[in-house]
Formats: sequence, C-alpha cells, structure tokens
Amino acid sequence: MATKDGYQNRIELLQGTLDMLILKTLQWGEQHGYGISQSIRATSGEVLQVETGSLYPALHRLERQGWVKAEWKKSESNQRAKFYKITKLGKEQLASDYERWGKMVATIEGIMAAKRGAA
Amino acid sequence: MTLFQFSRRKTDLTEEIESHLKMATADRVARGESPADARRAAMREFGNVLLIADVTRERWGWLGLELSMRDARYALRQLRKSPGFTLTAVLTLAIGIGGVVAVYSVIEAVLLRPLPFDSPDRLVRLHEGIEHQLESADLPAPDVIRFSRDNRAFTQLGGFVAATFEVSGAGKPFQAKAERITASMLPMLGAQPMVGRAFTQQEDENSSPVAVISYALWRERFQADPKAIGMTIDLDRRPYTIIGVMPRSFEFPLDAGRLSHRDMWVPMSFTPDEKQDEVDDFQYGAIARLKPGVSLTQAGDDLRRMVASIEAQIPPQYGIHLTSNVQSLQEETVHGARPLLNALLAAAGLILLIACANLANLLLVRAAGRRREFGVRLALGAARRTILRQLLTESLVLAAIGGLLGVVLAVALVRLAALSLPDSLPRLNELALHWPVLLVAMGLTGVTGILCGWAPALAGIRSDGLNSLREGSQGAGQGRSQHRMRGTLAITEIALAMLLLVASGLLLRSFQRMLATDPGFEPQQVLTALLSLPGHDYPTQQKVDAFYRELLQQLGSLPQVRSVGAATNIPVIGMNSDRAFVPEGYSPRDGHNWLTVSNCFVFGDYFRAMRIPLVEGRYFTADDDRPDAPLVAIVSQTAARQHWPGVDAVGRRFRMGGNPQSTRPLITVVGIVGDVRQGALDQAVYPQMYEPFKQSGRQWEADLTQASSPRSDLHIVLNTAGSPSALQPTLEKTVHQLDPLLAVSEMHPMEEVVTATETSRRFNTGILAAFAAIALALALLGIYGVIAYSVTERAREIAIRMALGATRQQVLLRTLRHAMALAGAGIAVGLIAAAGLTRFLTSLLYNVKPLDAGAIVGAALVLGICAAAAGFVPARRAASINPMTALRAE
Repeated sequence: MATKDGYQNRIELLQGTLDMLILKTLQWGEQHGYGISQSIRATSGEVLQVETGSLYPALHRLERQGWVKAEWKKSESNQRAKFYKITKLGKEQLASDYERWGKMVATIEGIMAAKRGAA
Repeated sequence: MTLFQFSRRKTDLTEEIESHLKMATADRVARGESPADARRAAMREFGNVLLIADVTRERWGWLGLELSMRDARYALRQLRKSPGFTLTAVLTLAIGIGGVVAVYSVIEAVLLRPLPFDSPDRLVRLHEGIEHQLESADLPAPDVIRFSRDNRAFTQLGGFVAATFEVSGAGKPFQAKAERITASMLPMLGAQPMVGRAFTQQEDENSSPVAVISYALWRERFQADPKAIGMTIDLDRRPYTIIGVMPRSFEFPLDAGRLSHRDMWVPMSFTPDEKQDEVDDFQYGAIARLKPGVSLTQAGDDLRRMVASIEAQIPPQYGIHLTSNVQSLQEETVHGARPLLNALLAAAGLILLIACANLANLLLVRAAGRRREFGVRLALGAARRTILRQLLTESLVLAAIGGLLGVVLAVALVRLAALSLPDSLPRLNELALHWPVLLVAMGLTGVTGILCGWAPALAGIRSDGLNSLREGSQGAGQGRSQHRMRGTLAITEIALAMLLLVASGLLLRSFQRMLATDPGFEPQQVLTALLSLPGHDYPTQQKVDAFYRELLQQLGSLPQVRSVGAATNIPVIGMNSDRAFVPEGYSPRDGHNWLTVSNCFVFGDYFRAMRIPLVEGRYFTADDDRPDAPLVAIVSQTAARQHWPGVDAVGRRFRMGGNPQSTRPLITVVGIVGDVRQGALDQAVYPQMYEPFKQSGRQWEADLTQASSPRSDLHIVLNTAGSPSALQPTLEKTVHQLDPLLAVSEMHPMEEVVTATETSRRFNTGILAAFAAIALALALLGIYGVIAYSVTERAREIAIRMALGATRQQVLLRTLRHAMALAGAGIAVGLIAAAGLTRFLTSLLYNVKPLDAGAIVGAALVLGICAAAAGFVPARRAASINPMTALRAE
C-alpha cells in the first residue's frame, strides 16, 4: 500500500469513527446533537469528549448522505430541538463500519503485537 | 437546492446550535450553577459558534456562495465609502455597456432575428441579370410564371411587384402603396389574414378585383370594422372587393425603412402584355421556398438550368448572356444594413474598451491607495487569496451596477434609435430589447468586471506586506510596474479614442463633401408633386396628354409661377429607369450589344423649372410636341461622354431598345444638359437621357406604337418666385378643379426632397461623432487621472526638486511633457491601428479615402490639444506645490 493511500485511510478512519459512534448512539433511539455528545461522553466513561466543531459537521454530512433523518421536536425538558434518527441506509452503514472497525482493530493489534515480538 | 432552501437551512442551523446551548445551560443550572455562569460555560464548551456554523454549512456545499455574498456586501460598503470613485467608475461602465447593448439590440433586431415568416431559413430570393449590362436584378414577368412551373428545387414560388393605386370610396382619395402578389405568396410566407381570407389561385388567374388590406388601413379608413370585409373600394377607379385584413405585424416585402409598409395586397394577375414581355423589364421580385434537403447551391444550379433554357431561345447574334443567382431572403433583407451596423458595433465596442481601461486605471490607483490596508491585513494573517477575491468582487459589483445602469441607458437609447435610425435599415419596427440582448449585457458585465479587476487586484496584493507598512506613506519606490501599467492603460485609451476620432473625421468629411456636391439643379424655388392618372378614366395617351397640357397651362398662368414642367422622374429620389438604346453605326464594345441610360420623359418647361443648365444645343420646344415633329432627345454630360466618347453627341442619332436590327425610328440628340444626381447626393451619377413626353409613344416600331399603355404618372415641377410651400394649396386646388378625385401625392418643396436624402448620412455621421466625443472624454479622463495621480504621488519629489532650485515653469513643463508623451504614444498607436482598420469603413465614405490626411491630422490635433488641456490642470497643481509644506507633511 502506497504511503498516500495510507494517509487517506487514516483520515477516513478518524472521520468514520465519529460517524460510527453517532450512528451507534442513534440506534438506541432518536436524539438531538447535545444529547448525542452527552451520550457518547457518558457511555465512554467521560473519556471521549466529542467536539461540537466535529459533531455538527458530521451530523449534517450524515444527513446529506441519507444515513440519518432530522426532525424538529420538543425534548423531554420541553425545549425545541432538532432530533436525528437513523435510517435504514444508516443502519447498513453502521454494520459495515463496525465490521471494518473490527478488522482495523485486529490488524493494528496484530502489528502492535508483532512489533513487540521483533524487538 | 434553491437559494430559499439555503437561507432556510442557515436559520435552521442557528436554531439548532441555540437549542444545544440552551440544553447545555439547563443541565448546568440543574447541577446548581447560576444561569449566567451556566450560559457562559456552555458557550465556552461549545467553542467558536460562527466558525462551527461555517464549517457545518460547508458540508452542504453552500459556503462559497455565502462568502461571495459577504464579499459583495463588503464591496458595497467599500464603494459607498468613496462615492466619487464609485460614481465615476459606474458611469464610465454604464456608458460603455449601455452603448454596446443598445447597438447590439439594433443589430439583433435588424440582422440576427429570423424574418417573421414561416421557417424563414428556407426562403430564398431569385435574381436574374444580363452579363455586362444588368447586374443581378429581379425577374421579367414571364420568368416568374415559367420558374414556378419548371423548377425542381422549390416547393413554392411566388412573385411580387410594387404598384400604386388611387384609392377612392374610403374617405378622401389617396395614393395607396400596394403590392401585387401571386396567390402562392401568403401561404408560402405562412401569413394569414386576421379577418377574412386571402385570394385564391383562381382569383389570381382570373384577374378578380379583390384586395387584402393592411391593419393600418383597416383602422384608419374602416375604423377596424369587421364589416369592411365585402365592402368595395375603387382602385384607380375600378371597383375592388375587400376580402381580408392582414395582422398588424405583417409586413411584406421587408424593404428597408420605416415607411416601407404596404396599404394593400392585390392579386398579381399578370396582364397579357406582361406575359409576353421578354427582355425589357427585370422588375418582378421572386421568392421561393426550398424543398426539404435542397441546398442554396442546388437551388442556384436549378435556376441556372432554367435560365439557360431561356437563353437558348434568344437569337445568338444578340450576344445576350443571362446571369442568375439565388440568395437567402434573410441575407438579402439585411445585407445593406450590415456595414453601418458593424461600424457602430465596433465603435461601441471601442468605447467599452476605453471604459474598461479607465476603470482598470481607477482601480489601480485605488489599490495603490489601499496598499497600507492590505499590508496590515496580510500581516495579520489574511490569505492573499481572500484579498484577491474581495478585490475582484469589488470590481464585479462595480460592473454589475454599471451593467444595470447600462441596460437602463440602452433601453432609453433604443427608444431613441427607433425614432431616429435612418430609413436605410430594414425591420426597424421590430426594434426592442430582447432576451438575447440582455444575455449579451450580462456576459459583457461579467467579462468587464473580471477584465478590469484582475490586474489591479493582483497589483494590490503583490506588494510585500511588511515593506508597505514600513514605507509609511506612499513612498517613491512604489510599484514601478504599476506606473507602467497605468501609463499603458492611458496610452491604450488614447489610441482607441484616436481610432474613433479618425473614423468620425472620415465620416464628417464625407458628409461635408456630400453637402458640397452640386445636385445639378436648383431646388430652392421648386415645388414638386406626383400625379397618377387612373387608366380607367384616362385610357388613352391623348386623354392623359390633354389633362397635363391643361394643368400645366393653368399652373403656368399663376402670377407667382416662373416656369412649370413635368417629368416621369425627378432627381435625387433614387429612381433610375434602365433603358437600352443603340446609337447609329454602333459596333459592340466589351461584349455590349447595346447601351443603357436612365431615361425620363419631360413635359413643358421642365429644364427651366428645375434650372438644369444647358451645355450645348437646345432645350425642347413646343415644336417638338407636334405629332409630325422629328424624334429628339437631350442627354446629360455623363451620357454624352460615356456613350459618344470623343465625338460631339449633338446631332447623333440612335434607336431605343436593345436590338441593333430593329426598325424603330431614329431619334436625334439635340442638346446636352448638366448632370443631375438621380439618387442621394453621395450616390454615383448615372448617364441620363430626356425625351419629350409627347413623343414617348412614337419610339417603337410603327406597328407597336398604339399597343403600349399610356404613361400617366408625372411629377409636376413648379418654379415659383415665392415660397414653394406656400404654393401647395394652389397646386392642389388647380388639380382638383380638373379632376376632383385625383390624389396629389409626394407634394414637397424640392429642397426638402434633397434634405431627405441626406438624413441617412447625417445620422451615420452624427452617431459616430457622438461615439468619438464620448471616447475622447473618457480618454481625457484617463490621461487626467494618470497625471493627477502621479503629481499627488510625487509631491515630495517635486518639492525636493523645487527646494533644489527647479523653477515652477520647469515643474509645469515636466509634468506637461509627461502628459504629452502619453498622448503622443497613444496617437501613434492609434494611427497605426487606423491605417489598418479604416478601410473597413470604405462603404460608408463618400469622396474620401480611408486614409484621408485631413481626418487623420484633425484627429491627432484634437487629441493633442485636449490631452494638453487635460494634463495642464494637474501640471499647474504640481507647479503650485509649496516645497516647505509638502516636505513638512511627511
């Protein structure tokens, strides 16, 4: 694999990861942007802090790609908010993302393990 | 996605972010923070709201547009801050763009728009001619019939020929312009009467007295009453039934000029005379529709084939070779208008170029003045790309405003043009701004904006940010290349203005020459009018002669009338008849079997009434009117020189017609008179012959003398001691005493007739002079701008020079020299361009060479003097600089 492609892969991975996390979060039910960031933060045990500067561009990109749908609704605290909902297409994407993620983790793990062995 | 969706999305996002902040704040409040702290913390946590919104929106691909709109708003703000600059720039552009758009819309209406007929691109016009003798003309009547029968290339073929009728039975009698057309014509053009019907093939062949009238005539004479259909009017005192009214927009034929419209169309119904006429009369227009798949060339071949079969029937000893050609009707209609319109478009284009150069110059100066601002912004981290984009947006915004104003200006100009354009242009009734024109305007605006803005914008950001800050004021070292660019722009403007000045100078000199041209007669004291005796009431030549004899006698006895005459044609109205004759003992030269002249039959004291000078021999006398008098003719000097070269024409004899073997009687030349202009004064003189009206029936072979139909149209010519227009009612009254129904048409003082022929050239000259004046003004503004700016910029240098001992006069001269150097270079470049380009004007010139020294020297002088004046103002300011003040200001 050429270096350039590898670099692109890395970008894709990072981007894809946030997308995947958002889609995963939405699988539990529709949610607004703030809720998504809170949810990711809580489920990661306060480790992952999603930047709003990444979250909203990602949400709008997902919406444009048809993986999520958005609708204005009242939240539980009676606040008008834009709720995102995963679509059928989004669910398929989440499945394939998750599979790729699994492969990626395994591959990286393999590399890390091999490196240790060589040293 | 539409712009509406875009803006909805934008508010949507703002709301979304706001709801995020509210929920985050609410959570914090729930955890016990004070609302104010909570809000602040939520905001901090969220980050840069605007940036995030921008980045998010970018996901939708709309950021570019939003940035452009922001740039445009910024540009507008910048432009509002310097109203002087903005006003100058916008007006300059509006003039440039408006001029081009106006001229282009005339071109679009006249040259480019398809003719208002069915599939006009398949319509062609047929021509015939005689080699060496008659250039491509129309067809003899029999050929119209023959070609519609024998052709293989056309689905339809129609003939037409103009006719005038005295109309009575519909209000006051008047002379109507009519067109005789074959029944095939209207269906071929795809034109139908809006009321009633067109005439049929049957009616055409049976000479049925039916007429289709124009919308205008219907309104004027029948109050747009549908009952007009079926009514009877008298045309030349023969009753015709009105069967149809054409739509308002219908015009045929599409002759040049606003007043070419016809009042009615009647069946062609060729007379037996017309059907037999073989050679003489090439005046029946023919239009045909190409069969599908047939090309213009193939149609030409087909016509040539048919013409060859006609030629085969002409005895070879006549040596007659017929020529023919087929032309697209569209091309034919607009052909004559092309040189003028192209010249106008070129002129307007040059003005736009000058305007562009001017604007670029203004922008350069402005960019130079804002170097410090750019320096600061660059130092603070602004991307060069951003500044470039903003500068370009600024020039585009300027161009847009200019373009908008330009279109408004163009609308006004086109309104004006519709009233004042010369009659030589066809289809003027269709003049209006149409969408292709607006498209052109938009394109022009965009190109102008980018063209003008690019160089100055680049120059503006090229400067090294730090240096421009350090220099503080506009220092001496500033942009040598910018100086050069501004100089070049000013030179370009001058060169372009020079080109226009030379062009308008050439036209002015042509006009001057035209005015100075002797028409060959004295129009000042002459009144003229056209009478046309209807054949119904004046069936024989004797009756016609008797009427005119009586009329001229009565008019001649009026106290203020000095002499009175009549003729079948009068000068300058552009009518030529082409008649063939063969001088006695003539041997064919250069394939010419006969000679042609324009001829004219005169009645009474025509030459004295017109004051056409006798050069040799004698005028006609009353003796020539005797039925047994020898046949005589008078020829013009040109005719004498061309047709009897090297000998005295007086006393020579000739026969009318093109047949050297004919038995027609011999006619003797008894006098030579001065040349008169048959067309406008800038048209060439054609050899002219005059014969007594009373002898017109006697020029034929003895057995044909009685067969020819009487000539009944005569122009009355009155030479009066008083004012010609004051005589008009008297003339009308005298005519009506003899025949109360007879229409007196084209009644004008002869001087007006002459002036009318000048309008077309007056217009050409006027408009080009106006263009040249605008170009001059813009170019001078350019020079002034460059010099004035360089004086401001170099105030310090000038002050130092003066402190070191330079006199005010030296400073003045130095600055002036700078202006003159620019002007000189511009004039030189303009001269070279003029040398190459003015030949394209040749068809618009009269008696002036495209490289006329007077026009060129004149243009150079005007430009030089004006440039000196434009340079003098800033030069004097330079000379009045107070060295101490200027230096202390640093």
